[in-house]
Amino acid sequence: MTPDLVILCAAGMLVSVYLMVGQKALFTTIRLYAGQSLLLAAMAAMMAVADARPHLFVMAGMTAVLKGFAIPLFLMRVIDRIGIHREIEPFLNVPASLLACLGLTVVGYRVSTGFPEGDVGVTHHILGMGLSTMLIGLFLMVTRRKAITQILALLTVENAIFLVALGITSGMPLVVELGIFFDVILAVLVLGVLVRRIVARFESMDVSRLSKLKG
Amino acid sequence: MEQALVIAAALLQGLGMLAVAPLLRGLIKKMKAALQTRQGPPLLQVYYDLAKLLRKEPVRSETASWVYVAGPRLYFAAGLAATTLVPVLVAAAPLETAGGVIGLVGILALGRFALATAALDTGSPFGGMGGSREMTIAALAEPALMLGLFTAALASGSLNLGAVVRHSLELGNSFHPSDVFALAGLFVVLIAETGRIPVDNPATHLELTMIHEAMVLEYAGPDLALVEWASAVKELLYITLLIDLFIPVGIASAIAPGPLAVAAGAWAAKVFVFAVVITLVESTNAKLRLFRVPELVAVALGLGFLALAIRFL
Repeated sequence: MTPDLVILCAAGMLVSVYLMVGQKALFTTIRLYAGQSLLLAAMAAMMAVADARPHLFVMAGMTAVLKGFAIPLFLMRVIDRIGIHREIEPFLNVPASLLACLGLTVVGYRVSTGFPEGDVGVTHHILGMGLSTMLIGLFLMVTRRKAITQILALLTVENAIFLVALGITSGMPLVVELGIFFDVILAVLVLGVLVRRIVARFESMDVSRLSKLKG
Repeated sequence: MEQALVIAAALLQGLGMLAVAPLLRGLIKKMKAALQTRQGPPLLQVYYDLAKLLRKEPVRSETASWVYVAGPRLYFAAGLAATTLVPVLVAAAPLETAGGVIGLVGILALGRFALATAALDTGSPFGGMGGSREMTIAALAEPALMLGLFTAALASGSLNLGAVVRHSLELGNSFHPSDVFALAGLFVVLIAETGRIPVDNPATHLELTMIHEAMVLEYAGPDLALVEWASAVKELLYITLLIDLFIPVGIASAIAPGPLAVAAGAWAAKVFVFAVVITLVESTNAKLRLFRVPELVAVALGLGFLALAIRFL
């Protein structure tokens, strides 16, 4: 039962990334990220119960509280303050992005084969979905213009790496995880401040304007 | 004897779906009203409306030909015929020897085609516009529907819906990650095909962006009643299809009073859950701009393709 539920959560994460690619409202994107993090937390909690590893409970709790609530709320406040609610035009339009993401998923799934338990194992599916999520996150980061979307893409990549770590090594040591968590929080805080500076300077979140600093 | 039984089952299932479908519409309307802290129309209002419309005299444009008259009738007949190809309470569709997934999609497409041509018939701009929009969205939603259905069919190795349900009941709670993607894709198709809010607004006749309502704007009386009724049946049919493919738990494998009662209860509960989800989606989303709708349906198409790809990888 547990492997099924774990795969269900991982698949839910990949679906949420696809929905992120498919629409442009910033608030919805943030909510999707929050939902994705909660799925990850649920997955960690289930693995903690199944494998009797209590330190995963700590990770699950921190993921739920920080990535599920604190970071999304912080980002929503940033958006509220600067009053920009939409990704106006990504570098690549939605259908083309979706096609590219389909290709990335096929690549991610194809390379994650060759495990002893074959195509039916949990490892195959989780690694496949983790890699696909990470590739799509990277893709989002290069094709979107808004600084906030890029932060969300970065956070998605981080979630995907956590997913892969859970699926293959059944969790890194607690110290390493804590270190990653503080890195993420710090990154979000710094980037949040940076976004507001960018908006104050250029009256826009469009990062492509950063290449024209002179004049 | 055998044939008589099949025909009786098909009739019973078709009429049952006809009887229940308006209740689903009423339920969604009521729950939507509750979320807006309105009292809303009574639960049975859809039945009253249908009864009123059926009693009225049909008013048709002078320029209308037989195509205009045949449209709603074909649409209704197609909806009714489609219900006999889908397992509802028993793990077998009444007329499953007549056709499977492809037959179902074809019959639904036939109904849509009849209504769209009928909308063009009077030559009014609204009808033509609505018909063209409906077909634009259908052209994208239909492949997404096919991909989702094929994903489910791959597991059982049969395009027959009864066989698909029997196979997944035999395996117990088997689960493949591709189901998640197929379900997400088919849910978007459900929203698009039944004209729910991010795609179309079922509650108004007064928007320039309306799709289905624009197509049937000129119908009145019994003609309109047939269209409304068939649309309600179609909505219930899509929900039943999703239940069959992804959460078949509780469907009776033999015709006996006990399992049938359990199956009826389970089916009603699952339809109710879908109604709640649809209500929440309708209440929390704004209607999309018409030109953004293809993007949404493209997401469904992508998810369907992904589901199929993951089955193979």
